[in-house]
Amino acid sequence: MRKPNYYKLRLIKDRVMFLLVYLSLALALIPLFSILYEVVQRGIPAINLDFFIKPTPTVGEKGGGVANAIQGTLITIGLASVIGIPVGLMSGIFLSEYSEHKLSTIIRFFNDVLSGVPSIIIGVFAYALIVRSIGFSVIAAAFALSIIMIPIVTRTVEEALKLIPMNIREAAIALGVPRWKTVVAIVLRGARKAVVTGILLSIARIAGESAPVLVTMGFWRWWFAGLDRPAANLALNIFIFAMSPFENWIVLAWGSALILILLVLGINIAVRIFIRGRY
Amino acid sequence: MAPKLEVEDLNAWFGTKQVLKNINIKIEENAVTAIIGPSGCGKTTFLRCLNRMHEINPDARVSGKVLFNGLNIYGNGVDPVMIRKKIGMVFQKPNPFPMMSIYDNVVAGLKLNGVRDKKSLDAVVRRSLELVNLWDEVKDDLNKSGASLSGGQQQRLCIARALAVEPEVLLMDEPCSALDPISTAKIEVLIRKLAKTYTIVIVTHNMQQAARVSDYTAFFYLGELIEYGPTKQIFENPKHELTEKYITGKFG
Amino acid sequence: MSRIIDSGLEELSAVLYKMGELAYHTVLIAIRECVESRDSYNEIREISDTLILMADYVEDKAFELIARFQPVASDLRTIKSYMKIAYDFVRFGRYALDVSHANQKLGGIRNCDKWIISHVKDMGEKVLSMVRLSIDSLKSRDPQLAEKVAQIENEVDKMYFDFLDELIERVDTTIKCAVSSVLIIRYLERIADHSAYVCESIIYITTGKRVILR
Repeated sequence: MRKPNYYKLRLIKDRVMFLLVYLSLALALIPLFSILYEVVQRGIPAINLDFFIKPTPTVGEKGGGVANAIQGTLITIGLASVIGIPVGLMSGIFLSEYSEHKLSTIIRFFNDVLSGVPSIIIGVFAYALIVRSIGFSVIAAAFALSIIMIPIVTRTVEEALKLIPMNIREAAIALGVPRWKTVVAIVLRGARKAVVTGILLSIARIAGESAPVLVTMGFWRWWFAGLDRPAANLALNIFIFAMSPFENWIVLAWGSALILILLVLGINIAVRIFIRGRY
Repeated sequence: MAPKLEVEDLNAWFGTKQVLKNINIKIEENAVTAIIGPSGCGKTTFLRCLNRMHEINPDARVSGKVLFNGLNIYGNGVDPVMIRKKIGMVFQKPNPFPMMSIYDNVVAGLKLNGVRDKKSLDAVVRRSLELVNLWDEVKDDLNKSGASLSGGQQQRLCIARALAVEPEVLLMDEPCSALDPISTAKIEVLIRKLAKTYTIVIVTHNMQQAARVSDYTAFFYLGELIEYGPTKQIFENPKHELTEKYITGKFG
Repeated sequence: MSRIIDSGLEELSAVLYKMGELAYHTVLIAIRECVESRDSYNEIREISDTLILMADYVEDKAFELIARFQPVASDLRTIKSYMKIAYDFVRFGRYALDVSHANQKLGGIRNCDKWIISHVKDMGEKVLSMVRLSIDSLKSRDPQLAEKVAQIENEVDKMYFDFLDELIERVDTTIKCAVSSVLIIRYLERIADHSAYVCESIIYITTGKRVILR
């Protein structure tokens, strides 16, 4: 008796599944590439020398640039990182390395809640806490952004450290290395790629935030004038410029969008090159 | 010759479960002592009690004495970190430190305890790797990742790492269970070589391995030390019926 | 790379070589005693007892090696053969003692007819050379040397039967001489047999083949 030709049937099924998977992938990539295409196509005409060296033009003025917004964004993100990264890093270490501690379950729970809070609410919180006492300022914006950052950093650091097997820690402890040194020099070092990736993701996330920036810093058309004053911001520029009726500003909005994407990409690449190890 | 480690009335718990019951044993200097017994008999816990690794687990508890060169390592004011420097450990799975070169792996214990002098670190790397018969295989690749080595080489690297901090005792927890027979044979030869200058305690689930490498053998069963004596006697003429049953495979 | 079992095997070999030399010495002085006037009985007895103790040690050590290292192939053949060879060496000592017993307690052959003395002398030389060869082939692991022993063994067998035939024909031999000479010749023949056994063991160790050389 001849066996039915299951092989051919299986082959067809395999091909169909393969095709489906690829179609899904293509479907997911379409929006990504169309956004990129749109931003690049519309943003490039805005890019020229003035764009990088001149501040926001006055209404009706020709030309101008977003140099003040690039400056302001870098300063704000920088300050937010200085607050957010250490706190997030240490909470992550605490949750991963001292998970037997009673507090860790509670901290993990609230951290998860925090990461789910809409960013505008965090902005309003910063407004109530800081803006009302010292006014719209870089400090207030950086504070709000750092609070958005902390749960992301905490979670990714915790996950990254947990990927280092327990017996690596035991090996270090058995060598007579104190526990905190084990965590810093062995565990954190072993997980540094994943840790840095998590931090980069959080930076990219806050670089694109506009709502909390709006309520803590407002729109600022001039150069950076001190941490207790507002500063210009790329994400906010996009929002304000795009809503405006002025053609010049709309062009600048597209340019800002392109620069924001490139900025995030640039930070990513730069840090990756910096931490690129041999292993 | 005085014993290197003297265990007196050692009990150990995980939570409320007692895993070691009243262990008394004297471990001889410059000899290999093998700990054998079925899974869950407490042999690994026993090993980890010898350098205070047991207490790393949050709900672990120990009572009794372990005298190391006459000093009770569970005495008041004894720093477990100091004890672990003197009583090193090698684990079941080779566990070189991730993202670290072979060189850095060997000197990790020293560097993290503040040794910075490049010359003396170089000397330690060479001496330790030669001791574990790995130097000739890796001397040109010291900057490569420790994880790039084969399983057997990784385990020898881990032994070198443990030896670099100059311990007096080496505890080995099933060091060959993840290795192929050739790598296992190399580690066994190495154990015999190291026994000339170090006191070695090895836990193994492989009775033949215990027979091959050890001078003394202890048989554990359900948290108790059933029989302890020279390996030749344990394997040729065990005194206890349980030992006989276990080593002849008539268990259960 | 040397293995853990190697040091045990080396120790076993060393003990066995020492036994070989001691056994050779007993056979040598026992044969000399047949024709020269000297008394080596006590010396042979002492060495022979030592050989028995050493054979016990070899057996013990061999068991330990088997129990601890699970030897296979040539290692296993070596250990098994070493136990047999140790026994053969014990027999050398024991037969040497028996020869000495005949010499000292039964009167020996020194005062017997010329033909008996010369027969014993010839056979003694041949047997001694067999013992030497068997020990040498053990040390050198040389199966060809071992096969040479087989040839001499055949000659010794022939000498043994020739001697018995001749003794039966002669009517002038005294009972005393007949008893001593028959016993001595018989013991020498047994020593030759054991030399052959040693050589069989060596061929087994080196080639894995079981041969019968007798």
